[in-house]
Amino acid sequence: METQEKEVKGSVQSAENPGLTAPADWQPVIIGILCNWCSYAGSDLTGTSRIQYPPNIRIIRVPCSSRVDPWFIIKSLQATADGVLISGCHPGDCHYIAGNYYARRRFLVIKNLLNFVGYHENRVQFSWVSAAEGAKFAQVVAKVTDDIKKLGPLHRYKKENF
Amino acid sequence: MSFSIYETDKQGLTAFYDAVAGKFETYAPVEKFGKFDYRRITKIAEGNPDSPIAATMTVKPLFFPKSSPILKFQENKEETLISNNIEGDLSSGKRVILGIRHCDARGLQVLDKVYSWDFIDTDYQKKRENTILVSTRCDKAGVNCFCTSLDYDVENSDAHDVKIVNGLNGKIYIKAVTQKGEDFLKESPVSLKLAGNDSDEEMKKQYKSFESSFRLKMNYKEINEKLQNKFDSPEFETISRNCIGCNTCAFICPTCHCFKISDEKIRDTGVRYKSYDSCNNTYFTLMAGGHNPRPVKYRRWRQRAMHKFVYYKERFGVNLCVGCGHCAISCPVNISIFEVVNKVANS
Amino acid sequence: MNYTKQIQDIASKLFTEGKIDIFIGYQQNSFDDNQVPVLITDPAEIPKLVFSDKSVFNLTNYLKFEHTKNKRVGLVVKGCDSRSLNLLLTEKQVKRENLYVIGVCCEGVTDDNGAKAKNCEVCVMPDPVVYDEILGNPSGKKPYRVDPDVAEVAKMPLVERADYFEEIFQNCIRCNACRHSCPLCYCSKCCIDQETSTLYNGSNTVSSAVHALLTWSMHLAGRCVDCRNCEKACPSHLPLHLLHKQNEKVIFENFQEHLSGMIADDRGAFYKYNQKDPDDFIM
Repeated sequence: METQEKEVKGSVQSAENPGLTAPADWQPVIIGILCNWCSYAGSDLTGTSRIQYPPNIRIIRVPCSSRVDPWFIIKSLQATADGVLISGCHPGDCHYIAGNYYARRRFLVIKNLLNFVGYHENRVQFSWVSAAEGAKFAQVVAKVTDDIKKLGPLHRYKKENF
Repeated sequence: MSFSIYETDKQGLTAFYDAVAGKFETYAPVEKFGKFDYRRITKIAEGNPDSPIAATMTVKPLFFPKSSPILKFQENKEETLISNNIEGDLSSGKRVILGIRHCDARGLQVLDKVYSWDFIDTDYQKKRENTILVSTRCDKAGVNCFCTSLDYDVENSDAHDVKIVNGLNGKIYIKAVTQKGEDFLKESPVSLKLAGNDSDEEMKKQYKSFESSFRLKMNYKEINEKLQNKFDSPEFETISRNCIGCNTCAFICPTCHCFKISDEKIRDTGVRYKSYDSCNNTYFTLMAGGHNPRPVKYRRWRQRAMHKFVYYKERFGVNLCVGCGHCAISCPVNISIFEVVNKVANS
Repeated sequence: MNYTKQIQDIASKLFTEGKIDIFIGYQQNSFDDNQVPVLITDPAEIPKLVFSDKSVFNLTNYLKFEHTKNKRVGLVVKGCDSRSLNLLLTEKQVKRENLYVIGVCCEGVTDDNGAKAKNCEVCVMPDPVVYDEILGNPSGKKPYRVDPDVAEVAKMPLVERADYFEEIFQNCIRCNACRHSCPLCYCSKCCIDQETSTLYNGSNTVSSAVHALLTWSMHLAGRCVDCRNCEKACPSHLPLHLLHKQNEKVIFENFQEHLSGMIADDRGAFYKYNQKDPDDFIM
């Protein structure tokens, strides 16, 4: 590891802890929580269409974006993740009629709350991706990865003693 | 065996504190969010040893931290590897704690009994050995204090290593109480003046005036004897009605030592923690099969009061409550253990 | 704001008519001028009852315990307390017919130092919204104002704010007094109390405090009525209202000026939706 660090020039600063840095070739870990009916199918389409997207995202499938409890986000950020992407059906397209409308309210509040207690606002991002939007999914993941690479590694409120 | 007494004044004391803080790893009450907590300081201006610390947090977390890792485990396909050499916040160097109160220091003495019984907690023992307690005697008792009414001698307490008494004549007396304290004062970074012959007299006078400022007084022996037959007292039910079961009393009590074990995991790695717990929690006695011997609040209160004033005394010969009044101050509905035991004993 | 006489009269009337089994009010501390809750079952204890601007604690918290559940209860509520009572009724935690509610038109309570309590400065509803009997003169709904503390903290740069909150979370000892003193936290098994589960963190470390407090405040988002029982109970004196007031601010500004517990049968902000809710933060 040490020899690698010496080879790499420059470093990435953590947005929340300016004192802590990572080597410039550092790769973030992003947790993607996708709804089963739209976004997960959309990501499938991205794959079958052979569209490339950054491999930093680790996908978790949930039945609906409304299934995403705020602590999924908090827990991810406290464990290994540097960022979280949550994706669901477009408003009006929810498989369960109104799940994403309820989810949207919670997302707005948790996003603001996390920013309020000291996470950068780009750490947690949301998107609507339908089953037909394979290209959009690739774009979204590219943008989120890019954003989080700029923010650097997350050190704030991580689990201790690991 | 008598130890030396030194005398000084306000400035001299500050200079002494400052020199100690510069030389040793020193902890003193530091204000945060309107309450005082023992924090690491490097000069005395950062903290305030004369603060009303007794009204807020205790010294317990420096010996028994609110949460400490006890082991780490890692799973792989074949086995689970366990490593239990986690350092925690075990300090190897000498520590000095300034501004501790007599009741808090007594709390540690009481805790020693349970920590050196059955299982010897080496982490705790090491911290105790490495720490010098510099205790300041209160000038006036707080509204919820009742330390003088219990089974220990506040005036000649040997729970701390050095005691500081603000004499009524304006002089401040620094007295070593143990050999550890005597050595500590001998090596003191500032030279201290030996006190005159009247120092004992002055300290007694200060104690008299301190003793007379107590609002709460009781006869410990009588209460302890009466309580032993009050297990079925209906008074517990009346008293516990007000309690909202918030656990604050146990978490900030200088002598409460119950803990829970919990695991935290990220993927295949986990850490096992030992953290504070309270007997006021519903799940505290909940068994795996679903049976709970203390399902209702008054039974949990009975356990708390009886453990403090009867059971611990029976087993270890000391009272678990030290009369600091922390619980009553922190309680959102001002339930005082003093009132509870008195009401029950006299019911 | 001194209704001691009226409340004593009403309580004794209720006991003689046999309408209630238990009365929840305030009593004077014997050693200072603060007041603490008192639960009365015996009419002989009625002279203990008092009410003044020191009657701070939100008594609806007592409605969740086994000794008050399914009993006929009389209690005193102020404006904010009645909002939490409204939510408890909506969420079917108490039966309206079991309650006899004395509503007090609140003129603001004082804190330990005798100054006006901070939550009263930003109070939106000093009058009771649920009551059987009302004391005082209603002064009507007040306009919503952003909490000055929240505005101040929100102005800090990100790193400074993160440091400020880290200090708060470090001081948390996870006694869960905030949860237990909250009238709206009535779950018999709370998720942040789950010690043995590895899903929720059982330890008292900073990360667990973040996890517990943020999860807890999200469960109260759109429901919290700003009675600040949690802050009064907190032994570390942490400014917990910051989290709740921040959520309240976001909810008020974005979701049709929603304020919790103001009208009957109005569940929290997360139990309803509007198709025109803000969408611009989502890609």
